[in-house]
Amino acid sequence: MKVLVVNNMAPFIWGGAEELAVHLQKHLIIAGHDAELLRIPFQWEPATRIPSQMLMVKAFELWNVDRVIALKFPAYLIRHPHKTLWLLHQYRQAYDLFDAGQTNLPEDQAGQAIQQLIKQADGETFRESRRIFTNSEVTRQRLAHYNGFDAEVLLPPLNDPEQFSGATSEGYIFAGGRINEMKRQYLLLEALALAPRNVRLVIAGPPDAPEDASRLRKLAESLGVADRVKLDLRFLARSELAEYVNRATSCAYLPYNEDSLGYVAMEAAAAAKPVITTCDSGGVLGLVLHRQTGWVVSPEPQALAEALAQASTNTTFVRELGVAARERWLRMGITWPNTIARLML
Amino acid sequence: MKIALCSSFAPFIHGGSRNIVEWLQVKLQEAGHQVERIYLPQVDVPDLLFVQMMAYRWVDLASSADRIICFRPPAHMIPHPQKIVWFIHHIRVFYDLWDSSYRGFPDDAKHRSVRDALHAADTAALNEARHIFTNSQVVSNRLMHYNKVGSEVLYPPIYHPDQFLCRSFNDEIVYISRIEHHKRQHLLIEALRHTRTAVKLRLCGIGASETYVNDLKSLIVAAKLGSRIIFENRWISEAEKVQTLSDCLAAAYLPLDEDSYGYPSLEASHSSKPILTTTDAGGVLELVQDGINGLVTEPDPRALAEAMDRFYLNRAMTQQMGQNASARLRELNISWSHVLERLLS
Repeated sequence: MKVLVVNNMAPFIWGGAEELAVHLQKHLIIAGHDAELLRIPFQWEPATRIPSQMLMVKAFELWNVDRVIALKFPAYLIRHPHKTLWLLHQYRQAYDLFDAGQTNLPEDQAGQAIQQLIKQADGETFRESRRIFTNSEVTRQRLAHYNGFDAEVLLPPLNDPEQFSGATSEGYIFAGGRINEMKRQYLLLEALALAPRNVRLVIAGPPDAPEDASRLRKLAESLGVADRVKLDLRFLARSELAEYVNRATSCAYLPYNEDSLGYVAMEAAAAAKPVITTCDSGGVLGLVLHRQTGWVVSPEPQALAEALAQASTNTTFVRELGVAARERWLRMGITWPNTIARLML
Repeated sequence: MKIALCSSFAPFIHGGSRNIVEWLQVKLQEAGHQVERIYLPQVDVPDLLFVQMMAYRWVDLASSADRIICFRPPAHMIPHPQKIVWFIHHIRVFYDLWDSSYRGFPDDAKHRSVRDALHAADTAALNEARHIFTNSQVVSNRLMHYNKVGSEVLYPPIYHPDQFLCRSFNDEIVYISRIEHHKRQHLLIEALRHTRTAVKLRLCGIGASETYVNDLKSLIVAAKLGSRIIFENRWISEAEKVQTLSDCLAAAYLPLDEDSYGYPSLEASHSSKPILTTTDAGGVLELVQDGINGLVTEPDPRALAEAMDRFYLNRAMTQQMGQNASARLRELNISWSHVLERLLS
């Protein structure tokens, strides 16, 4: 079958959604389909040009395509008689971020009109789609809440699970992922300042902006923990990242209200490392259960300091949590072959 | 520099228009540029022409890309302050193929007005460009004739010119190309019957039309030329192509009125082999000069047979023409370094 994967393109920016689309295409081919990727440029600033770009997507004609799997707004507005959605997210600034006052839509009637337009076009697309999957429970709930459509949760698999095979722990706690305010690496530094002196931390990943990196470095200095934390703030090769995970004693991941399980937590679990997270970390709590597969504590330095202290010693208990995390992850059966089978049902 | 390469495509169809884009992408990346490749769908249906052009018009790359390079129509509709067009063909049924059997719709008032509006829109979009290049003199002439737009011929090189070599001269005229009626492999089979020497013919490639492939097979059987014709009706790998060309006597390329010189004639030239073509082959004649780097005959089996015999009998002439073929590439400045220099100037 000829399957066209349709995704947005933010020109010259490559992230998790782009990786997901490429791997989706690759695994469709492995499963015996013809698959190609259509990436449609989308520029959301200024917001007043969003409507014309919605029209742009709707005006494209597809031919020689048996099935479409579309991932994002506005790419998923593309017309095709057999469209499956795997919703990574809607245009959140017209929905939950709009309600939270964090929107780029103008604060006037024009803004409201754009919001209504997006909602209407979305509704039309959701109605005409054969099936709707979402990448997380949070996305599913938003879709139900704002648009009144039901969907099945289809969590994205790891693209390279074989790299996360685990190794002997070297006594540090590893915090990977993008560096920004929402991921709250600063909380880990504040906790480290309150934790016993033998606790060591490695924070590694690409900063969203240079300020995210410098802020973290300054904080480590001012808290006096610079000698106990390694800040490797850059884009890491997958093998480098896996090495950090595999040799850690535990991992830490404290995003604010994450949509899904989070690759960082999935990679840790695959490598049999328990995960420290917080009770407001959203989807991560699907994988991390307190004192079963890791630690779920309140997002406060003192509570986190206690978890850090426990998580950094290579005890039988910590190792057992790691094994349990891995079992929980594998039981979920989130693999590419399973994912393709469900999308193509 | 951030460069967006923009073209149209038909999903799951891999034609030559993708090569020029994808090879350029690699060469630009090797030169240290950030490149985004943007393929957007396009269907050749008169009634859907303008709505699709509008969609291209709404593509917004103004703030993300430093420069855009547009290839296949209607990609040149995309607005950008630094728009470069490397024009490879018009939507030809509304231009030079209007008075041909390819048109597929009536010459009536409606379609004439579609044609006129398309010409006006094309001209306007082309006039926005900072510079217009074409892939051949034929296309440049058409741009001048129909749109009154001047352009510079920028010959597209092949991907890995350095892999081709000349090892020996056996008795075979080879034709490595898609097997299509307008490529006229049948002319060569007929020609071989009129040859007076032991010259051989090797046809390599696959085609979309089973009918034409079967016609060729019947012709070969009817010709009763035994081992003097070899028909390899399969996809030929790059490595095989290099080998075949390095040992052949000469290469044939005789499409009917092609837009550009065609990659087969370039590959032959890089292998220092002369080219056999016809007076009605269009853009091929920009490369091949009769009696210098190949032989140009009437599209007639007897004339072709005579040329084949000349290659066979006069080996010194054949080898000299082969060397001239290689020199002709330098004369026309067909190289990636020249392409990059012109596109980025």
